[in-house]
Amino acid sequence: MAVLAPPTAALETPQRRAFRWRRALRLNLIALPLLIIVSFVWAYPFLWVVSTGFKTQLGAFTAGASLVPHPLVTSNFQRAWVGAAFSDFFANTVIYSVSTSLVELAKSAMCGYVLARYRFPGRDLLYRLIIATIFVPVASIIIPQFVLIQNLGLLHSRLGVILAMSGGAGALYVLLFTSYFEHLPQDLFDAARVDGANFVQTFWLVLPLARPIIAVVVIFQFIHSWNDFNVPLIFTLGQPSLQNLAVGLQAFRGSHSLDWAGFAAGMTISFIPVLIVFLVFQGYFVRGLSGAIKG
Amino acid sequence: MARGPLADTGRAAAVALDERAVATGRRIPFRGGRDDSRFWIPVFLLPFLVLYVGFTVWPLVATIVYSLFDWDGVQPLTQFIGVDNYTRILGDPLFWSAFRNTLLFAVLNTVIKLPLTLLVAVLLTRRWLLFKRFFRTVFFLPIILPVALSGLIFTYLLNPSNGALNTFLLEHGLLRQPIDLLGHDNTALLAIVLISVWQIFGQYMLYWMAALTQVPEELYEAADLDGANERQKMFHVTLPLIRPVAVIITLLALVNALHVFGIIVTLTAGGPGRATYVVSYFIYSEAFQNAPFRYGYASAAALIFAVLAFVFVSGQGLLARRAERLRQHYGV
Repeated sequence: MAVLAPPTAALETPQRRAFRWRRALRLNLIALPLLIIVSFVWAYPFLWVVSTGFKTQLGAFTAGASLVPHPLVTSNFQRAWVGAAFSDFFANTVIYSVSTSLVELAKSAMCGYVLARYRFPGRDLLYRLIIATIFVPVASIIIPQFVLIQNLGLLHSRLGVILAMSGGAGALYVLLFTSYFEHLPQDLFDAARVDGANFVQTFWLVLPLARPIIAVVVIFQFIHSWNDFNVPLIFTLGQPSLQNLAVGLQAFRGSHSLDWAGFAAGMTISFIPVLIVFLVFQGYFVRGLSGAIKG
Repeated sequence: MARGPLADTGRAAAVALDERAVATGRRIPFRGGRDDSRFWIPVFLLPFLVLYVGFTVWPLVATIVYSLFDWDGVQPLTQFIGVDNYTRILGDPLFWSAFRNTLLFAVLNTVIKLPLTLLVAVLLTRRWLLFKRFFRTVFFLPIILPVALSGLIFTYLLNPSNGALNTFLLEHGLLRQPIDLLGHDNTALLAIVLISVWQIFGQYMLYWMAALTQVPEELYEAADLDGANERQKMFHVTLPLIRPVAVIITLLALVNALHVFGIIVTLTAGGPGRATYVVSYFIYSEAFQNAPFRYGYASAAALIFAVLAFVFVSGQGLLARRAERLRQHYGV
């Protein structure tokens, strides 16, 4: 839409253009200062965390609302990373996020592909079941999940946490893949068959076409796992060496409630990677979210 | 399964996909492909099915079973007590406070965030606005923060003795006494609602932006030719056209807000008193926090909660269908 010039543009006189330009300028002069103030308030918690990470412990405590570290130190980062085991939390978070993203991607792409392109007994039932359970809140089924992991003997292991984090999710991703593969032209599959491609070869052939869905699944799941609190909290109770950043930070605050600067440094460490992932893939993320609502 | 802010998107997609995909599924002819598909179909389904049955289907069934027992999760499951857990929950004032707080949270959260996000979305989709991308990024930022972490940040910022908010307000003479927003019954829930709005803002802003871009440009041009001003275009073109999507967005917002958990744990742990006790926190603390663990009791609460969520969702489904008809009616 933005690429096509509106039909009125051709009729636009220099006067009219000047009028529009003045109007845009005037509106911007009203809107921009407001937006800048609101944006500052919006970003303030982030700015506060980053700047507090560079303050001294005493400075963090007495700085009030100020964002300027004075004096500026970097020792908090070292203290948080080594002393408070943030390096462990960080490693755990990376492990959980990467593995759950891969698990989700693999299982939902495969299942979605089969659901979209093949008829088999129970297909419609499975499809309806998946849709029905998208809305089940995690809090209501976490107890049996806990019992299951316990009975598998995986309670105090990373594998257990990964299974719990990736086990329940993914119904939505299946639906995204199903919908995408369903709308691929049949000619493609006919051609593959004529060329003698077998089941797996055909899947490998069409999988790259689903790149937008792959991107959405990986980004959603990565950010979701990075931020997940409920599942890791319950599955790592009393096991600091298995905790992710979100849970570990909560415990850290419990035991170091006065170390604001160390806490802020830890927070900064924990959100910088996601911030980078987000800024790099922002386009995908925005398109994925808007695509989802458009259906 | 639904959890976290991003699950919201899932619901959006599911609502849109639901009817259509099931319908088209019927029309797919049996395409056996080559012979090996009989072998590969089960293999491809297996990873999903194993995890799905283990972590979604079975837990649903098990929750129902547990809810009929008096069980601490350690002893064998032998103390069958029928519907006792349910009758006890229905008479448990803590559950009802949690229930009331959850609904209050969901409604307040929705009523505050939807108009504000729509306003910002409208502003950020104006052609004349400069630095759109920058503002969009800023408003979107909080969503990358773990919910639990934003809770922790705000415990510092709202700290009554030397937190940033109180210091700022005191220094500028806007306040005489420091206020402890999270420490008072009247303000704690509202503070949490606002923090959660801050957190989720970008997501709903984006939903509205997606909805707004669906309005055909020609309609605005036609309105321009008729001499409509911005306000008229908003109320007579934009809002009626995005109404179907607005119904979906509203219901998503409500359902998502019912799941509030992390922010409660980190900000108030349900306090002060029971002022911010919510259902998911109730389940968590009954089942996992204090020995003896009451798995049976918590399961019954979980089930009641799931039914509550389901009522919202089926309402959502009905409204979404209605919205779809409206959409066809408007020809969008």
